[in-house]
Amino acid sequence: MESSDPPGSHSKENAQEILGLKMELLQTRRYLQCILQHSNDIIFATDAGGILVSFGRGGEKALGYPREEVAGRPIRDLAVDPSEFDRLTALAQEMGNAAHVEFPFRHKAGHTIYCDVSLIAFTRAEGQTVGTVGIGRDVTQQKKLQEDLIRVDRLAEIGRTASGIAHEINNPLAIIGEISGWIRTVAGDAKGLTPEDREEIERAVRFIQEQTRRCRSITHQLLSFVRDSGPSRASVDIHKLLEETVSFLNPDLKYKEILVSINLMEGPLVMDSDKQMLEQVLVNLLSNAVYAVEEKGGKGGRIDIATARVESMIEIRISDNGAGISEENQKRMFDLFFTTKPPGKGTGLGLPICQNIIRKLGGDLSFKTEAGEGTTFFVRLPVS
Amino acid sequence: MNDKPDIRVLLIDDEETLIEYLSKRLLREGFTVKASFSGEEAVEVASNNDFDVAVVDLKMPGMDGVETQKRLKKIQPFLQSIVLTGHGTLDSALESGKQDAFKYLLKPIEYENLVETIREAYESKVQLQNAKFREEVENIYRSGMGARGIKNAMNKLRKIYGIE
Repeated sequence: MESSDPPGSHSKENAQEILGLKMELLQTRRYLQCILQHSNDIIFATDAGGILVSFGRGGEKALGYPREEVAGRPIRDLAVDPSEFDRLTALAQEMGNAAHVEFPFRHKAGHTIYCDVSLIAFTRAEGQTVGTVGIGRDVTQQKKLQEDLIRVDRLAEIGRTASGIAHEINNPLAIIGEISGWIRTVAGDAKGLTPEDREEIERAVRFIQEQTRRCRSITHQLLSFVRDSGPSRASVDIHKLLEETVSFLNPDLKYKEILVSINLMEGPLVMDSDKQMLEQVLVNLLSNAVYAVEEKGGKGGRIDIATARVESMIEIRISDNGAGISEENQKRMFDLFFTTKPPGKGTGLGLPICQNIIRKLGGDLSFKTEAGEGTTFFVRLPVS
Repeated sequence: MNDKPDIRVLLIDDEETLIEYLSKRLLREGFTVKASFSGEEAVEVASNNDFDVAVVDLKMPGMDGVETQKRLKKIQPFLQSIVLTGHGTLDSALESGKQDAFKYLLKPIEYENLVETIREAYESKVQLQNAKFREEVENIYRSGMGARGIKNAMNKLRKIYGIE
């Protein structure tokens, strides 16, 4: 016979309640599972000893480790600097949480992933710490973008300052030029000078004028760097321009015994662009190539020039088999005033100016290099 | 005309040392040179003397190169101006273009280039002036004045254009 006494009905109510709680628990677990599965953020939990007990899909994606590989390992091992992570953990435990700290983790492949991390002490109801919960967002891309922006800003600032100086120097430079010209005239008219003295003065004046010209070319380059007028647009035959540029440099090339091969895509390559600006870029890149080949020395110097269509862009490649660029110098290639050439040979303005010009033309300038093997510069320009 | 024309040059720059040496060299080159150290001074000088070519610095305290050029053009419509500038921006240069500057040279100038440009500016001035003179002469003949009237008008014209 079925019992219908109060205790029985009581346990039935209990069972109902337990079932309800179970359902709720299941629901909550599903909810958490869903978050862990689908969030792009790095979500993790550790025990009191810092051992990973939970690691979401976002973490797998951002740091490159499958969950099985990190489960049971200390989270601090994933940090670029583990002891720095310990400090973060200590802070979280002391304060209850450490919010929005920029912290570098190491990707499985070795590179650094910058994260905006919040670490929260995980406590039991009675206040005892049983571990930590962490949420991190990969901000590497954002950080890089920000740094690029700062760099561009700084470059513009340096450019402005430098052009201000260049402008101020122009007048005294003009005066030096005029006075040296006058000295030559006066010396030419003077009677009673020995031929040797006359020759001495001639020579000295010539040097002053050469050096004035050198300064002038620096100030003019600097001023053109910050000149904000946009490029002019006209139809330019790129192949013709390349051939003209090579023949312009030809005397130099012959003398140096450098073999230049031109490998152009079929047909004329005509596009709307600024011919003078492009010419400046090509002369610059080719002169750099010549210099790189010379720097390496020896025979068999080669420069290859090629054009190709790459997606919606036109690509001009200028390769040399010269000395290449060391890793530390690669980073500074487009820095204003950075040069590897000896004093008097380079101003450190050529490449930043080239990059500036190509950007103004809506394209981009990049390079590939291997120390000792050579360098290739890629000029990419939009077709229209 | 002579085979070696006398070219009258007005130099305008606030850099006195520059003007001093530039004048010396240009004088020796055979030009007639008058130096002035400001736009205001140049305008005054040009009200009393005729020039063929003005070499104007763009950036000067007080009246700047563009303004100076405008005023000079009003006083002597055929005067050709060469503008010197240490500025990297072309904006002012374009502004000068609107005021019909003959040419715009970046400072510091190459002396030989300046001399060459002065000669070209002079040629251009002479041509413009002659063309205008011819036009006005034709106007006079077409006006139907009597012989006496024509002679008078021609004399007046000759005086204005400095053609004897």
